[in-house]
Amino acid sequence: MIISEQWLRDWVRVDLNAQEIADCLTNAGLEVDAVESAGGSIEKLLVGKVLEVEKHPDADRLSVTKVDIGTEVLDIVCGASNVRIDLMVAVATVGAKLPNGLKIKKAKVRGVPSMGMLCSASELGLEEESDGLIELNADAEIGQRVDEYLKLDDNLIDIDLTPNRGDCLSVQGIARELKVLADGEYQEQQPQAIHASTQRSVEVELNDNVNCPRYLARVITDINASAKTPIWMQECLRRSGIRPISSVVDITNYVMLELGQPMHAFDLAKLSEKIIVRQSIDGEKIKLLDDSEAKLDAETLVIADAKGAIAIAGVMGGYDSAIGDDTQDIVLEAAHFTRASASGKARRYGLHTESSHRFERGVDPQLPPVAIERATELVLEICGGQAGQITEQKNAQGLATKPEVSIRLDRLKSLLGMELEGAEVDGILNRIADSVVREGDTWSVTPPSYRFDIEREADLVEEVARVKGYDNIPTAMPRIAPRSNAASESAVGLRQVRNSFVARDYREAITYSFIDADLHKLFSDEAPVKLANPLADNMAVMRTSLLPGLMSALQFNANRQHSRIRLFETGATYHKTEKGYVERQTVAGVVSGLQSPPQWGIEAAQKVDFFDVKADLAAVLSLTGQGNDITFSKANHLPMHPGQLARVSKQLDGQEFTLGYLGRLHPNIEKYFSVGQVFAFELDLDKSLSAKLPAFKTVSRFPNVKRDLSLLVDEAVPVSALLDSVRRSVGAALVKAEIFDLYKGEGVANGQKSVSLSVVLQHADATLTDEESEAIIERALLALGNDLGATLRV
Amino acid sequence: MTESLDGNLQRILEQAKAAISAAEKPAELEEMRVRYLGKKGELTAQLKQIGSLPHEERPKFGDKVNQVKREVAELINLKKTALDAAELAAAIAAEEIDVTLPGRGIDSGGIHPVTRTMQRIEDIFIAMGFGVATGPEIEDDFHNFEALNIPPEHPARAMHDTFYVAADSDSADESYLLRTHTSPVQARYMLKQKPPINIIAPGRVYRCDSDVTHTPMFHQVEGLMVDEGISFADLKGVLTHFLQQFFETELKIRLRPSYFPFTEPSAEVDISCVFCTNDHGEAQGCRICKNTGWIEVLGSGMVHPEVFAKVGIDSEKYTGFAFGLGVERLTMLRYGVDDLRLFFDNDLTFLEQFK
Repeated sequence: MIISEQWLRDWVRVDLNAQEIADCLTNAGLEVDAVESAGGSIEKLLVGKVLEVEKHPDADRLSVTKVDIGTEVLDIVCGASNVRIDLMVAVATVGAKLPNGLKIKKAKVRGVPSMGMLCSASELGLEEESDGLIELNADAEIGQRVDEYLKLDDNLIDIDLTPNRGDCLSVQGIARELKVLADGEYQEQQPQAIHASTQRSVEVELNDNVNCPRYLARVITDINASAKTPIWMQECLRRSGIRPISSVVDITNYVMLELGQPMHAFDLAKLSEKIIVRQSIDGEKIKLLDDSEAKLDAETLVIADAKGAIAIAGVMGGYDSAIGDDTQDIVLEAAHFTRASASGKARRYGLHTESSHRFERGVDPQLPPVAIERATELVLEICGGQAGQITEQKNAQGLATKPEVSIRLDRLKSLLGMELEGAEVDGILNRIADSVVREGDTWSVTPPSYRFDIEREADLVEEVARVKGYDNIPTAMPRIAPRSNAASESAVGLRQVRNSFVARDYREAITYSFIDADLHKLFSDEAPVKLANPLADNMAVMRTSLLPGLMSALQFNANRQHSRIRLFETGATYHKTEKGYVERQTVAGVVSGLQSPPQWGIEAAQKVDFFDVKADLAAVLSLTGQGNDITFSKANHLPMHPGQLARVSKQLDGQEFTLGYLGRLHPNIEKYFSVGQVFAFELDLDKSLSAKLPAFKTVSRFPNVKRDLSLLVDEAVPVSALLDSVRRSVGAALVKAEIFDLYKGEGVANGQKSVSLSVVLQHADATLTDEESEAIIERALLALGNDLGATLRV
Repeated sequence: MTESLDGNLQRILEQAKAAISAAEKPAELEEMRVRYLGKKGELTAQLKQIGSLPHEERPKFGDKVNQVKREVAELINLKKTALDAAELAAAIAAEEIDVTLPGRGIDSGGIHPVTRTMQRIEDIFIAMGFGVATGPEIEDDFHNFEALNIPPEHPARAMHDTFYVAADSDSADESYLLRTHTSPVQARYMLKQKPPINIIAPGRVYRCDSDVTHTPMFHQVEGLMVDEGISFADLKGVLTHFLQQFFETELKIRLRPSYFPFTEPSAEVDISCVFCTNDHGEAQGCRICKNTGWIEVLGSGMVHPEVFAKVGIDSEKYTGFAFGLGVERLTMLRYGVDDLRLFFDNDLTFLEQFK
């Protein structure tokens, strides 16, 4: 909310300048976003009266005017369409400097001399955009300084209010706040009760006195609806960001800004019989002031007449009952709509208005009688007319005063962690509320009717802390007991996993948790969790895999001239199961391009392949101390190349668990992203990270025996089967068995391959004799032959 | 006779000296060792002639020969050391490389700046004795809103542009949503654990909003401390310590009253501007702090009695504070990143700046 400093000062006297007021409000939780000058003083900007208007001889859109500024009559060329004889205008004379930086000089406009400029509101810094000249009222004196006339020596204080402080959405509210915070002298302005001068009135039928516990209406007859809104009121509205429209509407807006009570006015002639406050009927339609049509549900409070809805209560009035220039008799409305009835309505109908904003946050239920008198006073003053009796319908229970709230001094001190004197607390509470009863060190406070936010002791604690100033609360350090749930050694930490990938030249990415539904289908046939209100189509479903997001990131970089890309991510995937929504912590990676960056002095680097990425994954998994229990086996997995893909699994307590998959992405996916070969992996983190504590084995002091075996075997036999066979047949003496060469081609029959194994044998407690090792190797070769048809290559 | 023998010795010595001096390779020296000092060497031969001398001259002659032998041996050794050194020097010179050529193999990668910040935040709080808790990102309405004193239609809900999960056609889904903050972890933790509680809860959160300063997904770290006698002063102390550790400077903090439905009193926390505060702690004013000298970094407050009631903790006995901070915001402030959206583009050119 933006309010004018001058307007505020009409309501409260404080010995603070505008910036100090802003700081005071900010420090008390009413955050001031900006303090801006309303225009300030502008030299040589004078009130003038247009005496003559003639067309410019050489330009259709320009006029040549004679303007009286008291001391002389100036020739000024003007381009505004609303320039006319007798108009009172703001004249920037030669030498004036406008807020937008424009300096006025003697000029010739298309050959016609011009001795100044007639200004629009935007040129005076009053509006962002203006349509035509600012039209000053007849009460302006020719030759008077415009900055004095418009009171431009003002500041606009822009306050960002939190939703609990609806009571501050008015000049009165901020003034009350300054009374509390800065001990300002509050100038309450109670309007006079206006006596009826006409018998005309309107019947009000209050069908829903729960959502609307108070409804006031007053007829004012014979007004001049086309009367001009006085410039001071226009300026007040404009400075608060509300466009002046017409006198009656401006008056209701002015009262709202001044007191905080949203009001509405109907054209009495367009009202059928009476005013009915009721719930809407499902499907009921109403054409609104902004020319839109709303289709109502069955739970919206409306103001209706005998024919149908004429306003959405507290949100927006209807088009058909609106005041026009020819309106003669009006009905002013000042009502209390509860927060419960107002909340959510603006959002439901997409109609966020100044009125709905206030009712959603709570408006003082005691305000309608005050506001309707104030509005009446202004209507009579500006538009003339005869006021009728006020019709009021209310539900006294719905307007019951708020319950007392008590606050204890010791609680206050312990919650804030500071010393406080009872007398000081007493002073603060008495500034906030009129009714404060102290008994010893406990106070019973009846919050004012406008303070919806004070409901319990904690709220009063905040009030005291806020008035006292958070800066005055000391800083302490609590004692924190040591924790017993430090990370267990039986699991590898997420950070260790991340750091291992980083050490292997991967970069961590963070991609969105929601992805495109079609993209999802490319990677998985699982039904994903869908969003009801996605921001865009490409963020419509929750990922069940990290790979789609990582591939989008890979593609993003591939399109930006990166050729070697190695990305990983850790995070949740989201699944709908019979037990409800399940989130699985996952790690995944995508790799493309060369194994290593281009290097000097060696053969050109190879393109990365399955086995490079397998090594990365195996190294990270070996952190668990369970490297031997990890197996890579042939599998099927939708997003991966059927011939270059492995299921990664782990033995745990005799059971095999699938951790995830490693492989080349399916060529269809590579094609979809227009990238070359991409190798990828994705593992369930929780399953992968369980770790074995290191278990010590005796370090043998006896020499080992290393034997290399070159085997011929059918191409289809997986290498892991050869190693498994050797492990089984050799038994305890085996230190390790490794593949060190693979060969196909000349010298090896078609359909066969040559695999070279290195086998290391050792006893823990004795020297391995030649005879023993020979026997072991014999045994191994026999088993390899029997199990897999492998023969020694000679 | 003696004269001629002496003359021979002298001649041999001179010859040896000249030859050793002229030697260019260690192998030549080895030849000379054999030639002069070996069993059949010239000096050994001289010694064999000792028999032809009178008895009284023999010891003197023997000494002389041995002296020459020692002298030649020493010359050979000296020369050998010199030649070895020269040879090594030559080898070293020949083996010189250009050490400015790049190393071979792979470089190291890097973690994402948001993760980096999250880890730093965790470390600081863990060092203070806080634990790390987590909760689901697909949340229910109760934990995300109701338990935090945000009933339906509360105006605060309008500030949380919530993503809702589409209801299943085959099951009557309750209202599930993507959590709009990490605060539901507070509620979940308090429902399970009795005080004393001191945890932080880092994680992803979601708001249905996307522009220059908003991404639909971002990261928060929630903090919660509940025990007997926890005060607003403690909140100030913990946050001051954290923020000074995080920015590694003795910055000032300012608390301003604010409003969150789940805390009362509530406070926004500002830090003295880390971009324009000089060594004397005076803010110079800059674009980042909009010339105020203060930067808003997090929201906090004392746990609302209504929240305690929802989770069954006696608010007369226990008090506590909670806070929530935006990880991206702290990352931007720490490293001067000026565009939030960079965090989720995963542009390598950006990521590579964070080692």
